[in-house]
Amino acid sequence: MRAGYLWLASFAIFPLVGAPFLGHRVFRGFGILCRTVLAGGLGMVLLSATMTVWALAGWRWGPVLVLASAAVAFALRWLVRSHLPLPAARGEGRGEGRSLTAIALVLTAISILAGVAATIAARSTSPDLLLFWGPKAQQFASARTIDAGFLSAPYLEYLHVYYPPLVTNVFAFGAIAAGRFPWGAATLTFPLLLAATAVGLFGILRADAPAPRAAAASALVISALALAGIHSSVAGNAEPFLLFFELLAVALLVTPAARSDAGKLLAGLLLAGAAAAKVEGLPFVLAVVVLFLLLDRSAARPSARSALFLLAPTIISIGVWLAFGATRKVFFGYKGYGRSLEFHWGHLPSVASAIGTALWKVGYALPFAVPILVLLATRPKGRRALLPIGVAAALSVFLLLTYLQSAQDPRLWIAWSGARTFSPVTALVALASFCGREEPR
Amino acid sequence: MRKPLLLSLAGSAILAGFSVAALPFSRGIFHAPRTPYDASDATFTVPAWVLLQRAAEVVPRDVSVVVRGEPPDATNDSYLHRFAVALLPGRKIIPAALWSVPTDPDELRKADYEIVVGKALPSPAGRLVLSIPEGSVWKRKR
Repeated sequence: MRAGYLWLASFAIFPLVGAPFLGHRVFRGFGILCRTVLAGGLGMVLLSATMTVWALAGWRWGPVLVLASAAVAFALRWLVRSHLPLPAARGEGRGEGRSLTAIALVLTAISILAGVAATIAARSTSPDLLLFWGPKAQQFASARTIDAGFLSAPYLEYLHVYYPPLVTNVFAFGAIAAGRFPWGAATLTFPLLLAATAVGLFGILRADAPAPRAAAASALVISALALAGIHSSVAGNAEPFLLFFELLAVALLVTPAARSDAGKLLAGLLLAGAAAAKVEGLPFVLAVVVLFLLLDRSAARPSARSALFLLAPTIISIGVWLAFGATRKVFFGYKGYGRSLEFHWGHLPSVASAIGTALWKVGYALPFAVPILVLLATRPKGRRALLPIGVAAALSVFLLLTYLQSAQDPRLWIAWSGARTFSPVTALVALASFCGREEPR
Repeated sequence: MRKPLLLSLAGSAILAGFSVAALPFSRGIFHAPRTPYDASDATFTVPAWVLLQRAAEVVPRDVSVVVRGEPPDATNDSYLHRFAVALLPGRKIIPAALWSVPTDPDELRKADYEIVVGKALPSPAGRLVLSIPEGSVWKRKR
């Protein structure tokens, strides 16, 4: 038990690491809770990247990592030239507005508490925690580095050695602090990150809309993710991390924060977190950046500078990881599930049917159907809604093509992965319903 | 603007309701599970988890271990190898099977310890170190 508490307590380091950047007055408009969550996300990205750099350099992990990561956060602060604060949170409204905000917050809290209860009751634990996330983190903590010997050991090919390092690094960091890897505590990252996503999302959206609308949109996203997560067993795996980074980055880009260098750099750093959390984070980042540059040209101007802020953190983060794999001869790039650009179109009916079945098994597909129905009923207008919808479409096509690459019958693979891999799609659809109509301030 | 907002809230209420309904009330959600997989879709891991956690207390570090099921099943044994890598850190885990292909029995005989998930062995594999309902741990004679 004590190791579990210590491991969870180690997560308090992440906001401290990110605080030098989020402490900049430009971010004051987000409010203290939202800034703490964003600092935590940034702290995870910077600490994980520093751990990977340390591993590449052949240095053992130690407490100095925390100082080095915080120093990077200080350095990033100097890149933010503007001293104009991002738009501040808008009011809650009166009477009915307050009631609607309260209802939305209660629904969000119920969904998060359901996630907590499901995790504690061992309902939603991911087999992947036991199969590869946990063993890798445990070994890296013991070796005080990303252990190339372990990753290239015989009989351990199933560990997905090329999977990006953020989740194993974060897990290993906590395990070093706790003295061992606590399996049960690791599952609590599901409700913890769900709650962090809720706080971050509400804080970001409030800068663009009155509290009732921001709270209702956050409630829809979080309740969809909670139900999907409980049914598709994500406790202890990388999905909660991926969704946290993806959603907060896209939320920044659909609000006025996207018009400032500070907002774009923060979004870029969170996108780097997504790319470092899971393989499919990388195509997600590319889709977000390309669509943002194309669809919101006024916010993206100047394009080269925007592209730099949005993409550079991902390029550095994934570049260091790929350099580690190549220099240790452990992996050379990401491994596909078949030959590149060779798709088995004959599998299309069975893939489509398997995806439908996988989504149906997750609460009768409600986490996917409800946001789509809300989106159709609200008929969002405005170009900003196109960003989450476009990214959701691009991600869906990417996932479909990935499943079609497999020469083997992919139905079993889809049965255990489909609902999880498509969960960012439903969250983006839910977020798009927020981007509906412009309101006078 | 009320309609989209109310639709979002209605959708959230439905989803939150189904999240609560998905909880394993029949098993008792306030009672501590034995393993992180007790009420999950991967309950097949529970006996191996319980046995390997107990085995970690009696199997020294730096020894070689083979983990297998009884009756033998190459697919199950492939998973048991992976579970042992996770739950018996610091030991050399020799797979009883890999990717559903059984390992050469001569390789298995090199292990210092044998952990058997399931029924007791028909013939003893050495000295019995631990026996619980989920399986047994044997130290091989040299």
